[in-house]
Amino acid sequence: MSNTSTSPSVKPQASRLVAVLVLAAIVALAAATPFLPNYHIRVVNSLLIYILLGIGLNIVIGYTGLLDLGFVAFYAVGAYTYALLASPQLDLHLPFLLIVGIAAVLGMITGILLGIPVLKLRGDYLAIVTLGFGEIIRIVINNVDWLTGGPKGIARLDKASILGVEIARPVEIYWLLLVTVFLVGLFVWRLERSILGKAWAAIREDQDAARGIGINTTNAKLAAFATSATIGAIAGTIFAASQRFVSPESFTLQESVLIVLMIVIGGIGNILGIVAGAAILILLPEVLREFAEWRILFLGILMVVLIIVRPAGIVPRTFGPEKLIRGLFGK
Amino acid sequence: MTLVFNNLRKQYGANVAINDVSTDFAPGLIYGVIGPNGAGKSTLINMTAGSYTVSAGSISLDGRRLDGMKKHQIANSGIARTYQNIRLFDQMTVLENLEVCAYPAEVRNVWREVLWPPYGRARAAARRESAMEILRFFGLEGHADAEAGSLPYGRQRMLEIARALAMNPRVLLLDEPAAGLNHHETAELTAKLAELRSPERIMLVVEHDMDLVMTLCDRIVVMHHGKLLFQGTPAEVQASSDVQLAYLGTDNDIDDIRAAAQDRRAQLGIRARRRS
Repeated sequence: MSNTSTSPSVKPQASRLVAVLVLAAIVALAAATPFLPNYHIRVVNSLLIYILLGIGLNIVIGYTGLLDLGFVAFYAVGAYTYALLASPQLDLHLPFLLIVGIAAVLGMITGILLGIPVLKLRGDYLAIVTLGFGEIIRIVINNVDWLTGGPKGIARLDKASILGVEIARPVEIYWLLLVTVFLVGLFVWRLERSILGKAWAAIREDQDAARGIGINTTNAKLAAFATSATIGAIAGTIFAASQRFVSPESFTLQESVLIVLMIVIGGIGNILGIVAGAAILILLPEVLREFAEWRILFLGILMVVLIIVRPAGIVPRTFGPEKLIRGLFGK
Repeated sequence: MTLVFNNLRKQYGANVAINDVSTDFAPGLIYGVIGPNGAGKSTLINMTAGSYTVSAGSISLDGRRLDGMKKHQIANSGIARTYQNIRLFDQMTVLENLEVCAYPAEVRNVWREVLWPPYGRARAAARRESAMEILRFFGLEGHADAEAGSLPYGRQRMLEIARALAMNPRVLLLDEPAAGLNHHETAELTAKLAELRSPERIMLVVEHDMDLVMTLCDRIVVMHHGKLLFQGTPAEVQASSDVQLAYLGTDNDIDDIRAAAQDRRAQLGIRARRRS
């Protein structure tokens, strides 16, 4: 593992070129999206939601090294929070930003509650237990008909609006998502480089040695679960607001697995990697749509090839946002 | 300020690894812990650092009981350690391996650090500077941005001691720091460790390399079958007939022990080469 993840020392010239190209591509895509047909904007929106989810889950998987397969539970918590507080279901119609705040707090609480029992688990055991949690939440939602509408879901959710500005059309949702992804990405990137981020990395590398240098691993891990779940819940509210319909179908194990795959394929522990991984896993199926039933096969082959060619992911861990910025200014 | 073992005991079922050890360690001195394999030397370190639980008796620092505390609490009470098999944070950089030691002191302000960039920059710069200072002492400053796991074996040993030092410990526990090092590296290590002697610090060195122990240590603790056999200056240990008989045996046995130490070093050396 260790020799694959050490990045070859890229020449400054080459890394600058890569930085400029990557940034130009991102800016061009972001600027062009509002002019696309609605269908395409929706695809980009779904891409941005997955990037948000990836950034959240990566805190637990990539930074702290804990394989969590139940992340979709927090996404569901956020989505249903919006659905219940802004729909005819309970006849509540709270403002969007307030619901985002409530969902963030609820996400954080569920993150900690689900984190406490699994503190002592790692690796496969942790994966199985968190997978169970994810399924439990979905099944509960599916069965509490009186509250969640059961398998039928909740429809006719309110249009979101911020300070009187309605956010309902795909392009409006797009701007909301772009700003959210940017802010959350910036926050998480700074978190990664903070002392807490370094402690997470130490826990990932050697939990016992991390305790040996005075890190309270219980608190640090709960902080990781809580932050990650909060981001998942925020993504859920925006998802619900953009679909204006939620049902348990959107929160299956498959979603959790897809987000994990994005992280692994893109480059674990790296925000830029998540963008790359999400782009491949969300956009490629759209591009391959005309091949209908063959596209899953294509995707499977691509994944096998990627895992052979780049086992540590497409983007090396060391090629983070700071490399991009430094590359741009030639520092 | 002293580190005190009081009737310390470690038992695995009927097997007694540490048998009622009582002694104390004074600051400013370097203690060597010697004894044949299985004498309980590493067990003492592991219990002091909280890696193993204490079966009976107590460990206290400055009158504060350490046994029963959680491992990170023990570390935050001022106990730092290295491991017999190097345990670095392999995929973090050399610098980060030291910087992360600031966690207990700085985690309270982490939100401020994340949300207020000027404060974050100041903290990062301060952490970097104090880590660099320690790296310079160990001659590792040129490797600051290298991945810890990519360093040669000898450097990794040094880095592990540097990381323990970054905790600014009152008690430094070193578990076979010279294992796997060649003669040159061992000499360098001995010199560095001698410089770490400070009036506020207790140092405990478990080591098979008798030359290192005899040159470096002020006091030597001899363990035998889980019991504390003898404690004294290097000269007293060498002169003691008890130690001679029970542990070192005849002169021939000393050679045997040296040979065993050489063997072990060779084995570790092979592993070291495989690692790097």
